[in-house]
Amino acid sequence: MNPRSTVFSSTLTRRNLLTLSAALGGTALLAACAGPSVGDAGQAAASTAPAQDWTGIKPASSITWWTNHPGASMATEQAMINGFQAANPGITVNMVTAGANYDEIAQKFQAAAGTDSVPDLVGASDVWWFRYMINQQIIPLDGLASHLNANTADFNTTLYDDYKYADSHWAMPYARSTPLFYYNKTLWSAAGLPDRAPATWDEFDQWAPKLSAVMNGAAPLGIGKGTSWAAWWFCNIMWGKGGAYSSDWSMKLDQPETLEAGNYLRRIINDDKSAAVSATDSTADFGAGLSACTVASTGSLTGILASAKFEVGTGFLPAGPKGAFTPTGGTGMAIASSKSPEQQLAAGMFLKYLTDAEQTATFSAATGYMPVRTSAMDGATMTAIYAKKPQFRTAVDQLKNARSQDWARSFVPSGDKYLTTALEQIMLQNSKAEDVFPKASADISTSYDQNVKPYL
Amino acid sequence: MTSTATRRRGRMARNWLMFAALAGPNILLLIAFTYKPLLQSFYYSTLQWNIGSSRAISVGLRNYTDWLTDSQTPHVVGVTVVFTLATVGGGMVLGLSLAVLLNRRLKLIGPARTIVVAPYVLSGVAVGLLWLFVFDPNFGIVAAVLGFVGLPSPAWYNDPQWALVMVIIVQLWKNVGYIALIYLAGLQAIPKDLLEAASLDGAGPVRTFRRVILPLLGPTTFFLSVTTLLSSLQSFDIIQAMTKGGPLEGTTTMMYEIYREGFVAGRAGYSSAVATILFVVLLIVTLVQMRFVERKVHYA
Repeated sequence: MNPRSTVFSSTLTRRNLLTLSAALGGTALLAACAGPSVGDAGQAAASTAPAQDWTGIKPASSITWWTNHPGASMATEQAMINGFQAANPGITVNMVTAGANYDEIAQKFQAAAGTDSVPDLVGASDVWWFRYMINQQIIPLDGLASHLNANTADFNTTLYDDYKYADSHWAMPYARSTPLFYYNKTLWSAAGLPDRAPATWDEFDQWAPKLSAVMNGAAPLGIGKGTSWAAWWFCNIMWGKGGAYSSDWSMKLDQPETLEAGNYLRRIINDDKSAAVSATDSTADFGAGLSACTVASTGSLTGILASAKFEVGTGFLPAGPKGAFTPTGGTGMAIASSKSPEQQLAAGMFLKYLTDAEQTATFSAATGYMPVRTSAMDGATMTAIYAKKPQFRTAVDQLKNARSQDWARSFVPSGDKYLTTALEQIMLQNSKAEDVFPKASADISTSYDQNVKPYL
Repeated sequence: MTSTATRRRGRMARNWLMFAALAGPNILLLIAFTYKPLLQSFYYSTLQWNIGSSRAISVGLRNYTDWLTDSQTPHVVGVTVVFTLATVGGGMVLGLSLAVLLNRRLKLIGPARTIVVAPYVLSGVAVGLLWLFVFDPNFGIVAAVLGFVGLPSPAWYNDPQWALVMVIIVQLWKNVGYIALIYLAGLQAIPKDLLEAASLDGAGPVRTFRRVILPLLGPTTFFLSVTTLLSSLQSFDIIQAMTKGGPLEGTTTMMYEIYREGFVAGRAGYSSAVATILFVVLLIVTLVQMRFVERKVHYA
């Protein structure tokens, strides 16, 4: 037997060619039958659907909820479902673990568009909800919240307005976080520092050599890299110096304050050696005692407190010359547009329950994420938590410094990636901000022109 | 005569029915899950389409020109070429060496063969997560071993070059067992009388290997070169688990770029254009291998 004929037959006959052509032609016809509706740039813009009249709509008996259980909250979420079902016996909530993080949830939600697998309620993180909106995958919630008397005025304004665009709110805040400054009290004490986070980055610069001296010369501040992270916490340094990624859709990466912030980051890592980029997980490195302090999410609070073998202090992110600012992050919950009004109403009822004062406090106590309602922040549940673990109070108090993120990062596809690449060049390759921010700015502008503008 | 023709037609009809019954389901599955998505991908590559959206804009070949003129493209192509050559070339050399060792009659050769092949059947994500700890510069085994001899750990996760070396090592570790297994089958299929004849003619082990064994392994080498090249160019899981294409896109291959642009950035049209380009590259490489490399293969 000739192995050649059994492994790869390269004989091309007229009959083979005709057969192949027929197969390809048939599948081409099938292929043309699927996919999005195609128009020119002017036709792609979102059409305004008439507002849904919820009067007379009966809630569906079963809904599906896609979550990634932020802060290892699966048991807490199941308990909240049980509570909702007990209060609403006619509605069953099917909880689906649809990913390990916000990005995986979003990828699945987008891939499921146009199929029967779309959930009724879905996680909508700070960098994804806007894309859901321009893709017309979710509904505005103002009318539904009003119909359900959801008391949206009680939401923390910054956290609720993070989901606002074109005078509508497209999600409700659920597992919301900010970065916090975590420090190792043992090392702090050894360095003779006061038991608090540095009030400003200037003060950190003064404290860093003292910390380094008690760490055998190691860099005291451990910081993280990578997408969905570096460009988030850097907002604190940048805004503190008066810079910004963008103002609405106008890029601001070339303004002196933004460049100064980038170069400050370069200096503390590459010149001062007061900060070091963690290999994989800056939070884990801090918990293991490799760094004296770190910038990590409030959502990591419970994990850090559980893993650290030393006393953990928390404080506000240091201020810059223009003030103290912190970005907000985490995820909200949105309702799918492709579902029936009955499904949407049931999902809205569950969302109202998930985000009420009692549930948000319960969720916060279990995970470290912030309570999203003003009334919950000083309610009985949170007060008991503050007494037990005062670190929880820091995140809530820091909300007064919260600022919604610049659109260049949170609304433009690949915006976070382009910014992260520039910041990694600064951190890992000692590049100057002037050399790397212009490319990020140009790439984000192109992405906006191609991927956002035609759909607005 | 008429009845003979009728019987022949009846036999033909039965054969066609049998063919349709046996091959039909496979052909339908191939159309549904291979050819249709392939052609859809070609079509989507001409659209500006945010994945998840029901609306798209026809942009002709703009996605292709965008990719070809992007300043990052040479870097991504470079990473792809280095990763592919290292994992295919390194895998073939290591796999053949292991196969030669495993072909010997030694004690515990059975368990040794199992150990060598085992990583191949593991999930790429599990392998990536496992090696994530092995290479950890603070807590990993590699850092411990290097520290024992007084060497610092390379910045596997912060230096783009070392990160690429790291994922190449892990890819090799995972797949070398498969290559060794196929080579072992090839070695065991070589007729013993040929080796005895070479020995009687005075050929030593090295000469026998170069002049007899390697040429006779030609079909195996050709098969492996095609299949490992295709799998390396499409490698994704280990990179996703270990580096997510970073740092500084140091481990972003074309395959990873397709995923990232399509599912992270949501640019389905652009991602489809890169996928189409990769498809064409794979097709050309495979055709070149079949046209030129296979000519030099000696079939026993």
